[in-house]
Amino acid sequence: MDRIARELRQPVRVSSSLDDRVMSAVRQVPPHARASLWSRLTTPRSVMVTPLTWGVLAASLALFAALGAAHAYQDVHRAAAPIAKALFPKADTPQRAQRVQFVLVAPDAKKVAVVGDFNGWDASHAAFQAKHRGGGVWSVTAPVPVGHHRYSFVVDDSVWVADPTAPRAVDNDFGMPNSALVVPNPE
Amino acid sequence: MEGSSDAVIVARVLRGDVEAYRTLVERYRDQYARYAVHMLGNREDAEEALQDAFTRAYRSLARCEDPERFSAWLFRILVNRCRTMGARRGRRARTFVVDESALTSAAVDHPADGNAWREEIDRALQRLRPEQREAFLLKYVEELGYDEMSRLTGVGVSALKMRVMRACDRLRELLSEVHSA
Amino acid sequence: MNRLARAFVALTLVAPAARAQDPSLAAKLDRPTLLAVTAIIDSARAAKLPTKPLRDKALEGAAKGSDGPNIVVAVHHLSIRMGSAKRALRPGAGTDEIKAAAGALDAGVSTHDLARLQSAAGKRPVTMSLAVLTDLIGRQVPIPTATDLVLQLERSGVKDGELSLFQRNVRADIDRGADPAAAATTRARGLVQRGGGAPTSPRSSGRAD
Repeated sequence: MDRIARELRQPVRVSSSLDDRVMSAVRQVPPHARASLWSRLTTPRSVMVTPLTWGVLAASLALFAALGAAHAYQDVHRAAAPIAKALFPKADTPQRAQRVQFVLVAPDAKKVAVVGDFNGWDASHAAFQAKHRGGGVWSVTAPVPVGHHRYSFVVDDSVWVADPTAPRAVDNDFGMPNSALVVPNPE
Repeated sequence: MEGSSDAVIVARVLRGDVEAYRTLVERYRDQYARYAVHMLGNREDAEEALQDAFTRAYRSLARCEDPERFSAWLFRILVNRCRTMGARRGRRARTFVVDESALTSAAVDHPADGNAWREEIDRALQRLRPEQREAFLLKYVEELGYDEMSRLTGVGVSALKMRVMRACDRLRELLSEVHSA
Repeated sequence: MNRLARAFVALTLVAPAARAQDPSLAAKLDRPTLLAVTAIIDSARAAKLPTKPLRDKALEGAAKGSDGPNIVVAVHHLSIRMGSAKRALRPGAGTDEIKAAAGALDAGVSTHDLARLQSAAGKRPVTMSLAVLTDLIGRQVPIPTATDLVLQLERSGVKDGELSLFQRNVRADIDRGADPAAAATTRARGLVQRGGGAPTSPRSSGRAD
């Protein structure tokens, strides 16, 4: 086995353009929150615009303004009830919630949170912060609505870990593992 | 900047110096390319996984709690990316008939030939189950301890030891078929 | 037309959706992504599809640090899968069943097999069956094998609690090194035999082992 491992430990070179591709991708990411607002505001940027583009922009702005005016007229009739309440009634009300215990063994973790579609995938949600119970065992018991959910553990704010004891949920979208949870109706 | 620690460079990037991130890319690109290539079996997929991992690491850089251990944090992201890409390919591969005999009966030079031997190892590695390959690479190639492997993968130590053991057994089996062919 | 112009035109086209936006999405998504996701949610609502899963998918993407276009694609694909799932399931299937079915479709289960599973279950919800099926596929049980086994369990009238135990047992067997298909078939056989009738091998003539 050592012979095999020695062979596999030999360095591997990848394309030299990888660095450029990474940098090209990161330059398109919005600046980090800690970056100085002043430096972002005052860094000059060049924008090239053709006459045709100006025409399209002008037409789009005019259309946008017209649509905005039409919507404002309709919105007057809805002014009595807040729009969010009208469209998302009881969106976050934990109806028929059951208390569910989440357990993760992570001896070297400093922080473990449960995130899922029952808490807006929010790793800072107070009710879903696990406590270390000793021996590397982290757990939290929290209310979860009856039904089908997807969730994961977030360890130290950086590592997404699927629940090893739960059914796996397929995750092709964002690359980090999720688990499935079906909370039964107690009735 | 070349000799600066990871923490210094991370701080610089977070202050707005995007180009400083290139130093981290250059520093870890080759080291983690090795893992990605062995895990995914080809350079193209490995480069995609690496590029994705570096980009994701950049995006969530502010959440890296211990910038001195940026490399371990980046590696965790890469391990996850390789898992996802491997899973996607696995689903596509099941729609094709895998000709097992073609893998073992292809004309190979005498195993004493270095290149041929290396090819056989690579081929055998790709025939391991993904979780076994991952555990084997982390243990024997990246030379991590089981505790660190557990932190990286979220899998318990005893399950990891089992995977490594089975990976070794299977590799010995596959590679002895080559020698006896 | 350069990128800036395309962005303005796109914004114009989704302007109607800009009227009312979920505050939790607005807090997590950049503006173009928010507009696009809101438009998808509005379309789903018009098609009488559940919208919370779409909102959750967007929040998940934001939490995982995904970029805007990737989030939009993910939400869009989920809305398509939910539409397919709804058509395959019984009329009146709830949000949880549609979510679970969308997950199964994402794992590679066909709409035809979804419909077969629904037919086997009759009026019983198939949420747990679908979650177990998705898990088996995720643990490398071939899709046809996993689908056939869960179908047989459903036809045998196995309850949700038993399905959950079945999933845990299969997982434990695989963790100990068992071949996934063998583990799933063996455990399913035991479960069905307790209820009467052994499961047949997948895609076989139907004779018992």
